[in-house]
Amino acid sequence: MDIYGLVRGPLVWVSLIVFVLGMVYQAQQFLSSTRVREVVLPPAALLGGGDFPRPLSLADISNSFFGIHPVITVVTTIFHVFLIMLPIFVLGHNVLFEESFGFSLFVFPEMVADVLTLVVIAGGFFFILRRLLVRRVRAITTFYDYFIVAVVVAPFVTGYIATHQLLNYETFLIFHILLGELMLIVIPFTKLKHGLLFFLYRYQMNYEHCLGAGSRVWSYNQAK
Amino acid sequence: MSDQDNKAVDRAEISGMLAKKAPEMKHILNYCLHCSLCAESCFLYMSHDGDPEYMPSYKVINSLGKLYKKKGNVDREFLEGIKGMVWNNCVLCHRCYCPIGIDIPRMIDFTRSICRSQGVFPELDEGESWL
Repeated sequence: MDIYGLVRGPLVWVSLIVFVLGMVYQAQQFLSSTRVREVVLPPAALLGGGDFPRPLSLADISNSFFGIHPVITVVTTIFHVFLIMLPIFVLGHNVLFEESFGFSLFVFPEMVADVLTLVVIAGGFFFILRRLLVRRVRAITTFYDYFIVAVVVAPFVTGYIATHQLLNYETFLIFHILLGELMLIVIPFTKLKHGLLFFLYRYQMNYEHCLGAGSRVWSYNQAK
Repeated sequence: MSDQDNKAVDRAEISGMLAKKAPEMKHILNYCLHCSLCAESCFLYMSHDGDPEYMPSYKVINSLGKLYKKKGNVDREFLEGIKGMVWNNCVLCHRCYCPIGIDIPRMIDFTRSICRSQGVFPELDEGESWL
């Protein structure tokens, strides 16, 4: 088996299995470290009922992250949405789906895919520049934070280079696949796991700013 | 200088406290994205001209984060160094807001417990002199 056959065959499965099992492990860790709270009051009951949920006011928006940091909110949202959508709906990947599984999904026109790719790459540069230039972000930034951005953006950069054959096609195609697999493998074991944990923490954990039912608490300091 | 100032810290006790809450605290420290978006939710940050040292995440990373990094192997000088960070630069008002759902006051509270266990806390009549 040549190197291309290896990276687009067995290594894809290895990375997918590590990714799925890793995420299951993270979810299991969350569940085993927390327990269901005894009493859960719905938000309406906590607020006396009647006025929750209420319509959003201008004050709500100006006090939200969007109101305080409109640029970072928009960039982050677009970055995350494109980051997830693009690999699923790009033409090249769907050709591989068709060859391997006999089905394919909706695909973006190539021009659209190019624009989305460049937006993701630009988003990555934006995050890096923000870490370098904004004093308060720089104050808590470590090498690890740059590494995380690089791991995410690298498959998009190499994918763009390979698609447009800006440099040696075969080499960059293999780099692209390998870096994509590397990203999948490291997601569950790095800060990138926030893709899953965000929903568990924001909606499940009981604390001041919980967005959901807040039905769980940490389990170690009280009897189960 | 009081007797307490010269007393060696009980590293075993600190390590024990850190280990007990490790499933939560280490997990969350590794989950923080260092995005700094919690900054504006802290009134102390806002009232100190955006000094990063008042940013909620900065306080946690440089106090509890370092305690975990050092596995509790710290001396009194270290605890005295983070004393101002957790006792003065934060008033535990619980208004800090993390976009990815980290309960920041809980971590500051825990760091205070560790400091308190070693007698590192401001005295009532201490004023600003310990800062």
